[in-house]
Amino acid sequence: MKSAVHFRNLGTRLPAAIRLACTTMLGATALAAMPAMAGTASVEPEESSVATLAPPKPNWVYLQRGFVLPGTAIYDTADGKYLAQIETPILGDLAIDPAGKYYYVAETAWTRRLHGTRQDYISVYDATTLKLEGDIDIPGRILVGSREHNFILSDDGKTGYIYDFSPISSINVVDLVKRKFVRNVELPGCADLIPNPGVGLAALCSDGSLASINLTGGKTDITRTDPFFSATGDPIFDNVEFDQAKDEVVMVSYTGLVYTAKLGAKPTVSTPFSIQEAAGVRKGDTKPNDVNWYPGGAQPIALHTASGHLFVLMHTGEYWTHKRGASEIWDLDLASHKVVKRLPVEGEPNVINITQEAKPKLIVVGEGEGGSGAGLAGDAEVLDPATGEVKYTFKGAGSGLIQVFH
Amino acid sequence: MTIFNADSFGESMLRRFAGGTSRRGMLARIGAALVAAPVFPVLPVSRAEAAKPDRSPEAKTVFARNAQTSDDTKCNYWRYCAIDGSLCTCSGGGIHSCPPGAEPSPVSWVGTCVNPDDGKAYLIAYRDCCGKAFVNKCNCDGSDRETQLYTQQLNNDIIWCFGVKNKEYHCSTAVLVGAA
Repeated sequence: MKSAVHFRNLGTRLPAAIRLACTTMLGATALAAMPAMAGTASVEPEESSVATLAPPKPNWVYLQRGFVLPGTAIYDTADGKYLAQIETPILGDLAIDPAGKYYYVAETAWTRRLHGTRQDYISVYDATTLKLEGDIDIPGRILVGSREHNFILSDDGKTGYIYDFSPISSINVVDLVKRKFVRNVELPGCADLIPNPGVGLAALCSDGSLASINLTGGKTDITRTDPFFSATGDPIFDNVEFDQAKDEVVMVSYTGLVYTAKLGAKPTVSTPFSIQEAAGVRKGDTKPNDVNWYPGGAQPIALHTASGHLFVLMHTGEYWTHKRGASEIWDLDLASHKVVKRLPVEGEPNVINITQEAKPKLIVVGEGEGGSGAGLAGDAEVLDPATGEVKYTFKGAGSGLIQVFH
Repeated sequence: MTIFNADSFGESMLRRFAGGTSRRGMLARIGAALVAAPVFPVLPVSRAEAAKPDRSPEAKTVFARNAQTSDDTKCNYWRYCAIDGSLCTCSGGGIHSCPPGAEPSPVSWVGTCVNPDDGKAYLIAYRDCCGKAFVNKCNCDGSDRETQLYTQQLNNDIIWCFGVKNKEYHCSTAVLVGAA
């Protein structure tokens, strides 16, 4: 790459005769390097071009590379092909337009890399060209990464909600049609934004409740359910799953309790059940020195909404090992409260998602080189949830969030 | 169980003092009591009633049972029970000091870690050092009592570079705040 630039610079300065000599020399080198069978290859002069992309499909997955390497890679799980990279920075959050026209990236930068004025904004990319169409300034956003619920869109794709922590907890609301910041809504004691169609949003709170955030009027109205979980004793993992068709959120706690909540202006939470007991295993406990199966990882659960099956990354260990990668994926049928399959898995994945096709594919990824905390891209695997068969392996693909289009 | 009534105890004590001493004498006694106070445990009744935390090996987390106090560049150093990120001790800083050119965040997430030498629990403030690129040395991810984003002060995934010139995360320290 450097030598090409060097010759281009020479080309602008040297007389035509010398340019011709250089070109001839380059051509001679290239010809000498050609294999004998190259006679069929085109020798027509070429122009540079830029590829385009199809609109997002349900069999595509989006893998963030993690804490050290920027970029979100798009892979096709039908053929294992790498399609393109969306420009997400480290700690950036990606949201996919449900209509498939845009990719939105919530990001933060300083005017002089490590100092200067902080800038928070939503970058808008055309989904087929991946060209930047523009950006929308916002007052701020949390810097954390690996969370599905810090930048979400309304079900019609017209409004974006960005969680902010400055360290005051709030929500920034953006009109994606007008491409304009609308307002900031304070959200004391709660986080993890969940769509709540017809109402606005829902969120999990530090008192162990679920908040319903009504944004339909001029004034924000936040109501909370009675506390139903212990935010410090047995927390619910941030990366909860939302079933839009049922208007229901599915949540799993550190000990393995599975909760569902019907959203709306006044959400109702179901009685939890133990995923371990659903598998015929002893219920998870908070006591030390008690080795059992526990859920764990950065993104430990994935819901296939059409079938109502929840796939959970499970490992053996003691309590407070909730970040540890999995040795098995448990397939939980939410309707019958039964774990119907336990799939052994290699590489201790700590991130999982599932495509929303009729015949879905699981995708998992583990920590990369340097282990936990290094944030380097690990290997991803596409699995058949019916058999556990590894369909594709993507080397050095990611260690951040996995997202799907649905 | 009889509950200690601090109000009536204080009232009867003061009445006895008021009835049997001069003002100057009382001041002298209070002064003596203040000097002697550290010798005696404060609020003995409340302390006796408080449940003693169980620090037996059976009650410790897997991290606490395997923690050590000699090498603060290793992930199993006792104060790192809830740290996440690069250790500043590996990159030119120390257990409570930032490497040259980095700036400590005045706010932090916290952890409660057991010191294996004395078996006591201490409050640890994990203050990020900020303003330089991620150092990516000695990466650790302790998770004792670590929670999620809705209890931010106990979450170690957040970039805790607040109140500093720049929020770029460099490494983490583990500052001992006091007994838990």
